Amino acid sequence: MAMPVAGVPTETPAGQLPAGRALARVARAVRSSRKATVGTVLMVIFILIALFPGVIAHDSPTVDAYAPRLPVSTAHLLGTNAYGQDLFSQVVWGTRNVLIIAFAVGVAATGIAVLIGVAAAYLGGWWDNVLNVLTDVLLVIPLLPLLIIIAAYAHGASTGVMITAITVTSWSYTARQLRSQALTLRSRDFLEAARVRGERRLYVIVMEVIPTMTSLIVAAFLTNALYAVLLSSSLQFIGLGDPNTVSWGTTLYWAQNNAALQTGEPLWAIAPGACIAVLGAAFALLNYAFDEIGNPALRPVRKVRQKKGAK
Amino acid sequence: MLEVSGLSVDYVLDRGSVRAVDDVSFTLERGEFLGIVGESGCGKSTLLFAVAQLLAPPAVVADGSVKFEGTNLVGLTDGQLSAIRWRDMSVVMQSAMNALNPVKSIGAQFKDAMRAHGKPSKQEIAARSAEVLRMVGIDPVHLKSYPHQLSGGMRQRSMIAMAMLFTPDLVIMDEPTSALDVVAQRSLMVQIKELQLSYGFAVIFVTHDMSLISHFSDRLMVMYAGQVDELGATRAVFDNPLHPYTQGLLEAFPSIHGPRVPLKGIPGNPPDMARLPAGCRFHTRCPLAVERCSQVAPDLYQIDDALVRCLRRQDGSLSSPQQGSLSR
Amino acid sequence: MTELLRTEHLTRHFKIGGMLSRRMLHAVDDVNFTIGEREIVALAGESGSGKSTIARVLARIYKPTAGEIYFQGNPVSRIRSRPDALRYSGLVPMVFQDPFASMNPVLRVQHGVLRSLKLHRPELSGQQRAEEAARVFEAVGLGADMLERFPYELSGGQRQRVGFAQALAMRPKLILADEPVSMLDVSIRIGLLNLMAELRDKTGVSVLYITHDIASARYVADRLIVMYAGQIAETGPVDDVLANPRHPYTQLLLSAVPDPRAPMSTAGEADRGEPPKVIDPTPGCRFRYRCPLAIDTCAQVTPVLAELLPGHDAACHVAQSARGGAEQVKAFT
Repeated sequence: MAMPVAGVPTETPAGQLPAGRALARVARAVRSSRKATVGTVLMVIFILIALFPGVIAHDSPTVDAYAPRLPVSTAHLLGTNAYGQDLFSQVVWGTRNVLIIAFAVGVAATGIAVLIGVAAAYLGGWWDNVLNVLTDVLLVIPLLPLLIIIAAYAHGASTGVMITAITVTSWSYTARQLRSQALTLRSRDFLEAARVRGERRLYVIVMEVIPTMTSLIVAAFLTNALYAVLLSSSLQFIGLGDPNTVSWGTTLYWAQNNAALQTGEPLWAIAPGACIAVLGAAFALLNYAFDEIGNPALRPVRKVRQKKGAK
Repeated sequence: MLEVSGLSVDYVLDRGSVRAVDDVSFTLERGEFLGIVGESGCGKSTLLFAVAQLLAPPAVVADGSVKFEGTNLVGLTDGQLSAIRWRDMSVVMQSAMNALNPVKSIGAQFKDAMRAHGKPSKQEIAARSAEVLRMVGIDPVHLKSYPHQLSGGMRQRSMIAMAMLFTPDLVIMDEPTSALDVVAQRSLMVQIKELQLSYGFAVIFVTHDMSLISHFSDRLMVMYAGQVDELGATRAVFDNPLHPYTQGLLEAFPSIHGPRVPLKGIPGNPPDMARLPAGCRFHTRCPLAVERCSQVAPDLYQIDDALVRCLRRQDGSLSSPQQGSLSR
Repeated sequence: MTELLRTEHLTRHFKIGGMLSRRMLHAVDDVNFTIGEREIVALAGESGSGKSTIARVLARIYKPTAGEIYFQGNPVSRIRSRPDALRYSGLVPMVFQDPFASMNPVLRVQHGVLRSLKLHRPELSGQQRAEEAARVFEAVGLGADMLERFPYELSGGQRQRVGFAQALAMRPKLILADEPVSMLDVSIRIGLLNLMAELRDKTGVSVLYITHDIASARYVADRLIVMYAGQIAETGPVDDVLANPRHPYTQLLLSAVPDPRAPMSTAGEADRGEPPKVIDPTPGCRFRYRCPLAIDTCAQVTPVLAELLPGHDAACHVAQSARGGAEQVKAFT
């Protein structure tokens, strides 16, 4: 329960700070929470790998230039696969595709979720009903059959198609969350105050409601991005992606096709799988970390020794 | 029966600790009604939670003891505390809607409370539940009601009934009437006083409303910025307030009767507990402050039967009564 | 007293229950009162009395179910266009009860004032707006250095002053203050009540002060309206009503107010203070269930406000019949 002491703020505001101050706060918050530090470090590493894959992996991932099934060595950090491709460069170059999908879906799905979720909550009435129906219908559309159909028509879903399909079927989940949050805000006095002083409804939604929801919007972005990573990799794994793109999921696909685990090339499957897991963990840690930054009540409690005995 | 000695409570935060309650001591006799008044941030609720051993992190008892019938409650485990909780000491919260479970009927919550502290049979539970409801003037048919079905006054009464389940020796109340309107408030206070006189339990009653408590408490404790500034018999505190803050508080209540006079309240704001003023914590807002007040922090000083924390009272440079001195 | 605002048979009902229910909650029923220029009128009552609903109807948050509001002689229901609505909301702004919830926590405190100025005084340039914001902050007792702060840096009393500053920026005629001090510390309340009186004296603005605290109403208001269960029970000059309460409910309220200088009144002690939720009511006085003086008429005919003393009206059959109201009937004294 909140027992505020005079002068100790129980809520940390987000957004609308001058850039310098905001960055300093974020930096301090990242350093103070272990989850945030680990998550940020991991994410930065992945982003760097995605941006500069050639710097880390010198071989082309697609050219089958080497002898197949080579073991781990200094020349091939993860060995080669059955086609003679260097696994390490496959994994490194694959990062780019995965991150592109993750961030693209994250931004797109969250953007739609914010617009629709917050509008539905704030406008209420007929608008709310219509938008809710839309959200719910999309919530239950099964993604796999949809993608199978798309893949059949597109002869293998390219990255763009995958981004679109995942976005379309995943925004509704976070839209519901944002709508619930916006609903709790709807009766807050400061929104009524804005209406009473004559603000237009759109203005209130964009300039008053959404800024108070920044931490939830960031969380929605991280959720959607994480979901996109896992889903796109799974889709590629079962062959619905474009098998010629370099991505962790497609590497897994080829590994599965060649029964890598059974034929003594475990790294072919384990390496990309581990990467997916670690990237997923990075997103999840960042999600927890933002929760803690936004809501001090969730921070881990340091154990304090009480003074024993009477004075 | 209750002896609080040197109790201090800290809030442990990232940037250091903040002391919300500073070295508070008082005793409570059997059947005594003690009122604790103060404004927001003075530490009265924190003090109450500390006495009831209900502090949650980041708040911790930093120093001192709470001796309840001889046993120091500070440092006891939850298991040891549960023997005392509700049987000998119970708590009534500020807002019933926050403290009562909205999805359980009143009767179910009474049952939970009774089962948590004993092994009563079904008949015992039913009988006692009905009995405590009657004690507070509610028809026992409401055992089946849910909190939202009851009016505000009835909800508060059911909280009190729940606190009475084991007829404890001490009932701690945190602003139980502040969510109620004035007529309901009076009715509830009268009920509480009647129960107290019938069953003889002691009460610690925290409130910000001095006028209300003036008719019901035996002794009154005024808190400011985590410290006790005045402690004495209620009537004495009202008729002859010793501390300038108490005086200021009394004069901040406009009266219904008598002539309309312009009041001034107390200028300024309560201090930031992380950045307390030097010397006396009230001196920045005190119209009677002298230079020494900003240098020396006063201790509690006894004048007749009362305690006051004021340098000028201590050295006698303030004579009483000081009527009308704040609302010049 | 020049009339500023007048309500006639103002009524507001809310549908309750599910979609198929036809039960109506009568939050406000047939309320008639006036507010003049340069006066503070206190609207006092317990929760459920309808006082907050009246404020929201006057602020055009709700539309009246029936009845009319006349502001400066013009019916408010005729307001249709956005410029008209904007003009009204600038002349009749509202100050809210909760100093913690009435400001957007992520925006600076000057935001509301600047927006008010932008919307209601568009002739001002950006520079002029900034100056005007500083001016209204000083007028409510806040330093101009507070403009750039965030709400969490201000105390409750300071936040409420910002609320008044926002209202002042629009150069209002009538401020609707919905329990502006209820959530503040006692020693801070007086400061804000004094501010309201000062605004009335210096700028000529009227205030509708909604409260459940009779003592503060007495301190700051010129006239008092006492509400019970959606209807006006009594109204008149504040000292007059409190010295000679005619309506039994007013007497009950007064007896329950704790005054440290006098022993607690035992009149009406048995009353539990549970005003009814008025759902589909039958005619008759809504206070009759708690009134020791209720007679047959009280159960059959709804009482209307009648003048009992100059400027002092009460809606009570028994009070009205007591020698034309000149004699005070004692229900709870």
